[in-house]
Amino acid sequence: MRHPLSAPETPVVTPAPLAPQACAAAVSAAVADVFTVLEDWRDRVAAAVPLTTTTELDALVETLVLPALLGEAEPAAHRDAAQHGTAQHGTAPHGTAPHGAPALLVGAGFIATADYRPGRPAHFAWWLGPLASNPLLGTTLSPTRLDLAARVHTEYLRDFRGLEWYRVPEATGRAHVTGPYVDHLCTFDFIVTLTLPVQVDGGTVGVIGADVSVTRLEQALLPVLLGLSAPAALVNAVGRVMISTEATLAAGDIVPNPGHPLTGYDRVPCPGIPFDVIVRRPPE
Amino acid sequence: MEAQLRPGAREAIFAQLIEAGRAEQVARRLTDAIILGVLTAGERLPSEQELARRFGVALITVREGLVILRETGLVETRRGRGGGSFVIQADAPDETLLHTRLRGVAHVELSDLAVYFSTIIEGCAERAALRAAPQDADRLSEWLAQADWDRDAGARANAGGFYLELAVLSQSARLVREQVRLQAEFGPLLLLGLADPSMRASVAACNTDVVAAIRSGDGPHARTLVAGQVRELAEWLHAAKTRIERGGTLHAASAVSA
Repeated sequence: MRHPLSAPETPVVTPAPLAPQACAAAVSAAVADVFTVLEDWRDRVAAAVPLTTTTELDALVETLVLPALLGEAEPAAHRDAAQHGTAQHGTAPHGTAPHGAPALLVGAGFIATADYRPGRPAHFAWWLGPLASNPLLGTTLSPTRLDLAARVHTEYLRDFRGLEWYRVPEATGRAHVTGPYVDHLCTFDFIVTLTLPVQVDGGTVGVIGADVSVTRLEQALLPVLLGLSAPAALVNAVGRVMISTEATLAAGDIVPNPGHPLTGYDRVPCPGIPFDVIVRRPPE
Repeated sequence: MEAQLRPGAREAIFAQLIEAGRAEQVARRLTDAIILGVLTAGERLPSEQELARRFGVALITVREGLVILRETGLVETRRGRGGGSFVIQADAPDETLLHTRLRGVAHVELSDLAVYFSTIIEGCAERAALRAAPQDADRLSEWLAQADWDRDAGARANAGGFYLELAVLSQSARLVREQVRLQAEFGPLLLLGLADPSMRASVAACNTDVVAAIRSGDGPHARTLVAGQVRELAEWLHAAKTRIERGGTLHAASAVSA
């Protein structure tokens, strides 16, 4: 079986049909890879936080996220995989992902809570990868810092607390997956946002996170979905479609819907993440 | 209400421009934002370099655009540390400038822009109704409940913000991008009618109905509702331009600007 991060140019269908559970596991593994990277960043930021000024914090976060946004990172997942193996995912060892595998991330960074600097607003250390035809930034060829200080004002800073990707990990102290959704703040892309709270001495000092482009996720995972013997789709907890090999289901659609009743599909949860693989049942 | 200004609506001011007459376009985009209260008195514009990057034009083009704004008396440039270009227009839309702006755009251009704007937002609304999860309808409903329609600038920001939320719920990145660009180009003019309290009440009521249509998954009804709203706003604009061309005032005698 192929690694989920195999190059997209040559999607090769696995000869023997893949079990839906193996497909779901491959999805989880791809997301877990990103979370492993985020955990590494979280630990480094948490270790630095007590003594760090925001300038030093920005420099640290930039050092961490820029290689990942440029697709140059050797993710921590690869190092770990070399040590532990990933047989439980049913995939090849992560270390074998070919050079040039698509970088999943279109944005990443750290948002410090207002408490980080008493009396000051929350602090954004967030970078966007190279963007195509962004209505605010045009086309950028190198990473851009999300410059909220110069552009957006206190009402926005109050506002972002209501956003799921920040609010949930801050409130629950746990990792969270938001989306897929069209982000209208910076990337203007259909994305999934993965976030982790950063805690120091039991208190949350901020949220570390990454925006994953659904386009790139599809490039990585389409071969796995094509390996199933029936049309299938990757959906989130509310049934929002991300990737589909079912011609009548488009990315962004919601299932179940009148044309796609619950009874028509087997629903297989992806372990550890709020995503399911739905696979069309054979006709009775 | 300041607090209701959506980052998307604000950021759209600086979205990329099309080809011809770019300095004039820079000036027009910023003029619209200032005379319609999206940018407020005392606010500092982004640096010239930042504006050039954001608009996708040369630095010299931005400088030419800012010269036009200075000559119009909308911004002043202060030198030194903490310097930059600052908005000096008062908060209330300036009638004379609005008259000039409306005279400068033909009826045929206004109606074409309204057709295009309507087509995009109708598509957004219909898709949003077909694709919204119940949680999405709840969030949109909460968003709308917090929107203040009592005052002019707040109502414009909320109306524009609501269009953007509809585009987001369509789940189409292209529709969101197009809506942002279109709102930057035409939003301030189209939403001019919100200076009229009865128009504000009408748009607020319509948006409540749009949320209900989205909640019930009724795409065609959502489409019809937003089409009616855009038509109403466009007709107001037509009537206002006609009044001005006849030497009258922006607002009909019966309407009281807040």
